[in-house]
Amino acid sequence: MAKALEKAEEVLVSPRRGPPVSDETLVAAAAIGCVAACLFGLLSRRRRHARNHADPVAACADSLKDGAVVLAGSVLLDSAFEHFRGNFRNRAMYVAPTTAAVSLAAALNRNVPRPLRSGIFATGGTVGVAGLAFHAYNIMKRPGGLSWNNLFYAAPAIAPGAMVLSGFLGYAASHIEHAMERTGSERTRREVGPVLALLMAAGILGTVAEAALLHFRGAFHDPFMFVPVSLPPIAATSLAVAAVKPTEETIRASRWALTATAIAGVLGVAFHVYGVQRNMGGWRNWTQNLFVGPPIPAPPSFTGLAIAGLGVLRLLKQNEE
Amino acid sequence: MIGSERHLRATAGRAPDVFARGDWVPMRQFSDEEEVDFAIVGTGAGGATLAAKLAEAGFSVVALDAGPFWRPLEDFASDETEQNKLYWLQDRISGGSHPIEFGTNNSGCAVGGSTVHFQMVALRFRPEWFAQRSTMGYGRDWPIPWQEMWRYYEEVEDALKIAGPVNYPWGPPRGRYPYRAHEVNAAGLVLAKGAEAMGVKWAPTPLATVSAPRGKSPPCVYRGFCKIGCSTNAKQSALITYVPRALAAGAEIRDLAMAGQIEMGENNRARGVVYHRQGEWRRQRARNVVVAGYAIETPRLLLNSATAQHPSGLANSTGLVGKCLMAHSNHAVWGVMDDEIRWYKGPPSMAVCEHWNYEDKGKDFQGGYSFMSQGPLPADHAKGLVTNTGMFGMELRQRMALYNHMAGLKIVGEVEPREENRVELSDEKDELGLPVPRITFGFSENDKRLYKHALHFMRQALEAAGARDFTHTASTAHLMGTCRMGDDPADSVTNADGRTWDIPNLWICDGSLFPTCGGVNPSMTIYALAARVADRIKEMGARGEL
Amino acid sequence: MSKEFTSLYPNYDVLKKWDTPSWNDITRAVIEKRLNEVPRRRFFTERQWVTLVAVCDRVMPQPDRSDPVPIAPWIDTRVYERQGTGTHYASLPPQQECWRHGMDAIEAEAQHRHRRPFDKLDPVEQDLILHAIEKNEVGSSAWDGLPSQNFFRHILLRAIVEVYYAHPAAWSEIGFGGPASPRGYVRLPENRRDPWEAEEHAAVAAQRLAAT
Repeated sequence: MAKALEKAEEVLVSPRRGPPVSDETLVAAAAIGCVAACLFGLLSRRRRHARNHADPVAACADSLKDGAVVLAGSVLLDSAFEHFRGNFRNRAMYVAPTTAAVSLAAALNRNVPRPLRSGIFATGGTVGVAGLAFHAYNIMKRPGGLSWNNLFYAAPAIAPGAMVLSGFLGYAASHIEHAMERTGSERTRREVGPVLALLMAAGILGTVAEAALLHFRGAFHDPFMFVPVSLPPIAATSLAVAAVKPTEETIRASRWALTATAIAGVLGVAFHVYGVQRNMGGWRNWTQNLFVGPPIPAPPSFTGLAIAGLGVLRLLKQNEE
Repeated sequence: MIGSERHLRATAGRAPDVFARGDWVPMRQFSDEEEVDFAIVGTGAGGATLAAKLAEAGFSVVALDAGPFWRPLEDFASDETEQNKLYWLQDRISGGSHPIEFGTNNSGCAVGGSTVHFQMVALRFRPEWFAQRSTMGYGRDWPIPWQEMWRYYEEVEDALKIAGPVNYPWGPPRGRYPYRAHEVNAAGLVLAKGAEAMGVKWAPTPLATVSAPRGKSPPCVYRGFCKIGCSTNAKQSALITYVPRALAAGAEIRDLAMAGQIEMGENNRARGVVYHRQGEWRRQRARNVVVAGYAIETPRLLLNSATAQHPSGLANSTGLVGKCLMAHSNHAVWGVMDDEIRWYKGPPSMAVCEHWNYEDKGKDFQGGYSFMSQGPLPADHAKGLVTNTGMFGMELRQRMALYNHMAGLKIVGEVEPREENRVELSDEKDELGLPVPRITFGFSENDKRLYKHALHFMRQALEAAGARDFTHTASTAHLMGTCRMGDDPADSVTNADGRTWDIPNLWICDGSLFPTCGGVNPSMTIYALAARVADRIKEMGARGEL
Repeated sequence: MSKEFTSLYPNYDVLKKWDTPSWNDITRAVIEKRLNEVPRRRFFTERQWVTLVAVCDRVMPQPDRSDPVPIAPWIDTRVYERQGTGTHYASLPPQQECWRHGMDAIEAEAQHRHRRPFDKLDPVEQDLILHAIEKNEVGSSAWDGLPSQNFFRHILLRAIVEVYYAHPAAWSEIGFGGPASPRGYVRLPENRRDPWEAEEHAAVAAQRLAAT
């Protein structure tokens, strides 16, 4: 296994030692990439809101896609910045932001034929899994191996999980749309609803793990740093409870918790912007602080998951009636 | 030199705000005639800590420092030459078989003392060292049990928000460090690789610089100029921790105030401190005098305060004041790596190995040493190279051209407390008319076996990490001893509380108290001792035993 | 021994960071002064000065520069202003006396060996004398009271490298990041650099490293 990975690394390692682009170029490229992906998706997307509320499965699929959009956007920026910080020293490090950009475009553009879209998201999810393996390898080969410091500062162990989740959300959207067409809305939501809710809960907890690790690295120096390790777990738990026991109360509780989590994800961006300012030199020293300060694109992954979770709740609500 | 004009700053009811440019914080002031509870000489790890805790307990405190009161954000340049202003650069005569280098090597002269330039390595003494004679059969016992010292380590580590590893690999379990360890730089990873190849543990060094924001301190930016002053304020020096606490609690800090003598009054009690400030000699009256000037200036002041009753200097009835000076052996191995290391990034010592502090087998010497990764600034590195090897010419310039490919490992090695290593007063006088100290230092045969063992081990480790083309350097670091504490008045200068046996209201609170020096940097032990002395004084004060 | 200097960073100039967040006001003020206000001779005699300049030129040869980093003027200022180091080695005279004695002794050693002034010797002869001083193998009685190796290493070489490696040109040639505040560094592991750090010339580096 290690041999194979070494071989893989050898193939993928680029000979370049220095950073390939300047900070200015990177930020411009990331911003342009993000805007271009959004524009492409938005301009080419079909009107959809009319049918949204007619069918819970269709509505859920839309929410899943929305969630995938937010997650893919978060992954795109986060991985671009983090891999730039890592000097893009492996060719493989270009894969994550590229795949995320394609996923983002695919999630935004509802005109993409479903099989292609499924393929894109499945690829995104697979790249995410490969990313998990690469990051684990990166951690293990550093002096100290599986140690706290390598978990803090080597390739972030859980970060590619966001990519897996983004792929999963997009793929799940296609899947339930397809299932609905094949077996009808009612059966789809009965069969898929609880499973999807439990998987979403697990996904939220995975993201919590990453926030917990990084906020622990920051010694929870600000009390607000406890929010992403307390609120989303409540949301995840409530979603799991609703999946197992979908009553009006459990679903309402979960909706509240998920909505709060979605808002917290947005507020998290503001906190992280402030966090960058608290570093030496503040935003004037952005060429350093954007990379060492708290990751600004990271908190919206909670928003993306919560949006998707709210969609999944609609499947459960129907169950209860 | 820019920024080094010597104007009083702590005056007119205010002191510099160390967290702002050009700003001030209010400061309570006392007149010279007012008999304060405590006059403290020195504001480093010992003096500032004591001043803060005593002021917080309601005592009136005046703390003097010979150096200036800096605002790091605006006063500290990224420049080795300019930053010489942080050091004690007055002459000290240095002799013996291994003369100690002073100045930039070990002696600060600023409010905050040597913690303004220290490299922030925050290690604890091994528990056994506090009862070294009883349990290990060499050295001396400390008069304080290790459990108590370890409790105080915990207190001061929290006060300084030490960034250290979640699990520290040596010694009994300790609570988690308040802040997480920093990312280890390439120079530290060289140590890690070497240690793993040698089959010994290593750890990210616990450091007194924050890895996340703390109040007005932003996290460390890894600029690597730690040894010449932190202009980020990430370094938790006494200047930005205990000194502001002391001021807020009502202590007065007097900058540019050089103590010349401790004045004795009646009944064998100290009456105050004679000090030089703004061109004149002044006297501060005090109920208690604490000397916290570090291991050269503390004995110098005591010896220079001799009276008819104390002809050989204050607190010196045993003749031990100035004796048993200890400076850690600070030998190093340097090598060239194929990798670009760029050791100028990050604090100088980001990885540590304490294996030979905790392992007693396989040694041909008594004592212990730790070794750490290195990241000297250019002139500092060149200085070490030329003073040790005599290299010059194009060979030197070419060697320095490999600066970014260098890696080094350096020890903090225990030395024996021996009376021939000492501080005395010479016949020469400084510009204030005070006698210049004469220091004599040399390594014992045991000390030499220790550093030879270390050089051999570190060279193997460095080689295993991929280095070649080695050079060795010899040096010393830190200053300890010269007024040792103990349980026996016949065999020590102070008791466990830093209270001198001879004069009940004269105290010592700095590295001079160390009976032995261990194989770790002394700052945390000085902080911990000071925190303990403060608590003991509070207890005694409450019982009316001052 | 090589006669040429090869920098691994031929295209790097630390001064290009002057207006970036790597430099702050006080650092700019300090370096501006160092670059533009080189002091005049005040301490050494004309003869001692000429010797010192010649010694600096051998200790830190700069044949690659048309405008060499000035060293002797800063040493003169240090000694003139009695800027101490905190250490007065017991084996050596006090600072000012030590420097005068040292320069006179080097000159005397040149006269002793070649009957010519030190600054008029050719570089090989000068180096041989400096090596002899370094090894405590001096012949002139002018060294009485001044242990030549101690003086050479702890006073002379130390001062020269402290001045030379305080100059931005020296920082550039070794690829040192130079001033770094408020901006420090992001990338700490081996073989990584921030965009504002020197880029190593790979071929030159490989050649140099192969030769070590």
